[in-house]
Amino acid sequence: MKEITLQMQELARELLQKGEVNVVLGWEKGTFWYLSPPAFIDKPEDVERLVFDDYCHHNLSKYLMDYRYQDGKVAVFLKGCDSRAFNILLEDNQLEREKYVLIGIPCPGMKDQEKAKELGINGDIPLAKKCQDCKYPNPLVYDYFLGDKEAADEAAATREAKAIDYSDVEQIEKMTPDEKYDFWSSQYERCIRCYACRNVCPACNCRECIFDQSRTGWIGKANNTSENQFFALTRAMHVAGRCIECGECERACPMNIPIMLLNKKLIKDINQLFGEYDAGVKVDGVLPLGHFDKNDPEEFM
Amino acid sequence: MSVKETASNWEPKILVFACNWCTYAGADLAGLSRLQYPPNIRILRVPCSGRVNPQFVLRAFQRGVDGVLVAGCHPGDCHYVTGNYFTRRRYLLMQRLLEYVGLDPERFQARWISGSEGPKFQEVVTKLTEDIKALGPNRKLRDAQ
Repeated sequence: MKEITLQMQELARELLQKGEVNVVLGWEKGTFWYLSPPAFIDKPEDVERLVFDDYCHHNLSKYLMDYRYQDGKVAVFLKGCDSRAFNILLEDNQLEREKYVLIGIPCPGMKDQEKAKELGINGDIPLAKKCQDCKYPNPLVYDYFLGDKEAADEAAATREAKAIDYSDVEQIEKMTPDEKYDFWSSQYERCIRCYACRNVCPACNCRECIFDQSRTGWIGKANNTSENQFFALTRAMHVAGRCIECGECERACPMNIPIMLLNKKLIKDINQLFGEYDAGVKVDGVLPLGHFDKNDPEEFM
Repeated sequence: MSVKETASNWEPKILVFACNWCTYAGADLAGLSRLQYPPNIRILRVPCSGRVNPQFVLRAFQRGVDGVLVAGCHPGDCHYVTGNYFTRRRYLLMQRLLEYVGLDPERFQARWISGSEGPKFQEVVTKLTEDIKALGPNRKLRDAQ
């Protein structure tokens, strides 16, 4: 990882010095050793701040939305999930491919920040949950690739063949309706509707989100479980078929609501009902809820 | 003047989203043919079953409905050619999602009812009302008001 950090800095310096890009999006070391927040580097002398370590969770693709209307190019470092996020944004016509210089980094998986906080710097910190299930650790779209491409491809091939573990979703499916409802109410009781899950989500890229449209009145101001659940289910349906499983929503949630359990359920059902589909892998305009097949399962007869 | 709702006089409220071209005509035919069905349903006419946004369904439950039926033309018969294919995908998912968060699966249904299927409309609505009566009032996803 040290090596990748050095390569990152070198490439960023080169791009900035040549004036090829105006700004480079990467990660830097934060307040604590287990935090690596995004860094926005626009001067060649600042590139030393860039770092790639076990805690670069932030999905940088979403930040590109802020540069959509600016002149000049932007360089961005992408892990596997970030590159899928970039594809989703391309698919949604939010970004123009030519405006961005993509620098791919093969990702060994990020470590769990909560566990890191508990166990300390010398502890044996496990991978974050989302990374244990990751099928695409390598970037799928890039202009530059840092690190050993062949070794990374080999490591990724075994990942892709692995079946995703849906045991957490299945555990909830097995409950009775009342148990399920109690479980989800107890989770969404805590929601403070800060919309952090929406703000970090690369699939949530509407110009105006329905939860910001106060005049349509879709969401009430009252903070109660019913409104929170309305928000949760609507958000889940809105990203259905476009969720790339980056797990950013869950990480950003200050109340530790297991949001990915909803997203994973939808992904599981889409795979089962409409055929295997991984969002953000291909940019072909064919989204599970944006098209149909005449031979879809029929249950409404 | 409103009658206070008690456990003894409770009757289910069921919202039916009926597509203008098939199900609404089907309901009309059921009425014209003097077919008896429970008066618990409220029909809301939509241009196409594809018009029914998942938010409509959630909002209905929030505001105290005990069951929701989304009904439209049979696949292939859509007035707008493909609207109901999208509905099918959307509600296959939504049905599973609502079940996953704890709603009883009987409370949210989708059916294809064509303009000539008056008896089917009667049958579906009767069955739905019976199922929901057996379940009792819905308290889930409901707003306190």
